[in-house]
Amino acid sequence: MAEFLNILAIGLLLGGIYALVSVGLNLIFGVIRVVNFAQGEFVMLGMYGAFAAQTALRLDPYLAPVLVVPALFLLGCAVYWVLLRPLQGEPMMQVFATFGLLMVLENSVLAVTRGVSFSVGSVLSDTTIAIGPVQMPLARIIVLAAATVVAAGLGWWLRATMPGKAIRAVAQDRKAARLMGIPVERMYMVTFGVGAALAGLAGCLLSPLYSMSPQIGMNFIMPAFAVVVLGGLGSVRGAYVGGFIVGLTEALAGFYLDPALKHAVLFMVFIAVLIIRPSGLFGVAGAEEVGLREQS
Amino acid sequence: MSNPDTRSAAPARTGVRTLRHELPVTLGVIAAAGALIAVFSGDSFTLNILATAFLFAGLATAWNIIGGLGGQFSLGHSVFFAIGAFTVANIYLKLQISPWLAIVPAAVFSALLGALISWPVFRLRGPFFAIATMAMTEVLLSLSLYFDTFTGGSRGISIPFRLGVQNMIFRDRMSYALLMLGFLAICLLVMAAVTRSRLGYALQAVRDNEDAALAAGIDVLRTKLTGMAISAALTGVGGVLYMMYVRVADPPTLFSLFDIGVKIALIALIGGIGTVYGPLLGALLIVPLENYLRAELGGSVPGANLIVLGVVLMLTALFLRHGVMGALRAGALRLFGARA
Repeated sequence: MAEFLNILAIGLLLGGIYALVSVGLNLIFGVIRVVNFAQGEFVMLGMYGAFAAQTALRLDPYLAPVLVVPALFLLGCAVYWVLLRPLQGEPMMQVFATFGLLMVLENSVLAVTRGVSFSVGSVLSDTTIAIGPVQMPLARIIVLAAATVVAAGLGWWLRATMPGKAIRAVAQDRKAARLMGIPVERMYMVTFGVGAALAGLAGCLLSPLYSMSPQIGMNFIMPAFAVVVLGGLGSVRGAYVGGFIVGLTEALAGFYLDPALKHAVLFMVFIAVLIIRPSGLFGVAGAEEVGLREQS
Repeated sequence: MSNPDTRSAAPARTGVRTLRHELPVTLGVIAAAGALIAVFSGDSFTLNILATAFLFAGLATAWNIIGGLGGQFSLGHSVFFAIGAFTVANIYLKLQISPWLAIVPAAVFSALLGALISWPVFRLRGPFFAIATMAMTEVLLSLSLYFDTFTGGSRGISIPFRLGVQNMIFRDRMSYALLMLGFLAICLLVMAAVTRSRLGYALQAVRDNEDAALAAGIDVLRTKLTGMAISAALTGVGGVLYMMYVRVADPPTLFSLFDIGVKIALIALIGGIGTVYGPLLGALLIVPLENYLRAELGGSVPGANLIVLGVVLMLTALFLRHGVMGALRAGALRLFGARA
């Protein structure tokens, strides 16, 4: 029993990581209908940002978001305006463009760091919390809590505030939104910026957990796609719940089958859901089609 | 597939170009590629680059059948590449059968696997198809690392150097360049034949508008599956030749998303998606460029070649959507007016 609880805890904490990483991706996916392959690299940049903040300013990684989140918001806005705005209605060219961005970001960091891997420490790094027989590192609990707060906060922001309503309006019907006086292009830019900023936040909070390498973004992007598709496109709640499904699947398959097979199982589940219910568990049916249809 | 009326009507129309019109051009292009080898026959460094370029040109041409004509942007073709490589390694090392004979089972396995895994995935469109093929790569990479009797696991497989034509192992670079030229020639001929066939036109109809193609009586799924099987078979053959060319390979190399799966799509994109000769042009531009960058900057700036490739990818997506071939065609149209 204790063993099972431990695996459950590992899965849930892993789910927290995936949920946090996926929220931004799903926002971009759901609103702009852009499949952003470079989202994992934004997380990676967030991690290196936390490292830079610690080396230069002696900032604890948990305080680094103060600097990293605005920086990634601006980067996201710039990427949207320069790279993705001209490619509206060209889903395959968006795939190539964001993949090119992925390659550039990953290898630029590689060129700058020369492949040396870094790690950051926090005052909280070595703390663990015991609940019954289960030992949990505090750093991972913080990620889980942050994922919950971010998902709830983003949900509230989209539901209750004017910019949030504008983003939802643009996602539902671009033309009608424009007629209501919503600056569609600017909303897209802000959405992409917010998505990138959330990835940056995730990167800061994850930095004490991983030793950094430029390739680490790839470790996040594939599970994040699985989360987004499982949970449902454009659904904040879906990204949150999907994160736990993916985390638990990975932990259970890793323990009961073989650690080497956990990714095989995870992605088979992913492909199965993609085929059986492409709109995901919490998504609006047909949402996966809308983005591919020409919106004029 | 089975509409006798349109079949009898097609040859009567003068506008439809068939393989007969295409064949002289294809043979001319192959001869030109062969002339490149002849020009650099004494220079083994350049021959090496040409061999790699022709291999990737063939792979990109194979990808272009389903990716370009059919509009199904697979990022998972490394799966078929790896299947080909593992097939030849097992047949040659365990059964002592010549790699030349392994080409046939490699092509068959790849085609079968291509049809099998694409069958469910073809329900997805556009970016979702691309993501699913990426996920498929991850699944098969994990499986191939796990079932290491066939793949050598993380240690990989190495093929001992036993010189001989029957072993497909040569000392001189010339033979490899000619081998890859042969592969390229087959890929180009198949692509030319498919482009000018009923299947090719069906694939293009599916690409341009799946619903309209369905309404016009095209069996959409079967068209896609046939295109994928042909594309996968050729990619598997490419995997065989690659394995015998480098003689050492492990699953992460063969399933590599960047070095295989995305790169062949990138080469086709830069050359011209859906065109017969675009991928060859793309490979002749990209492979030497990458070699040069790796040699010049690889030591001082790690990853510089991939930075440049990434920039090229973004610029092509932004400004050169129809590739170099598309730009050339647009330029020719502007110069000479519309072709009759």
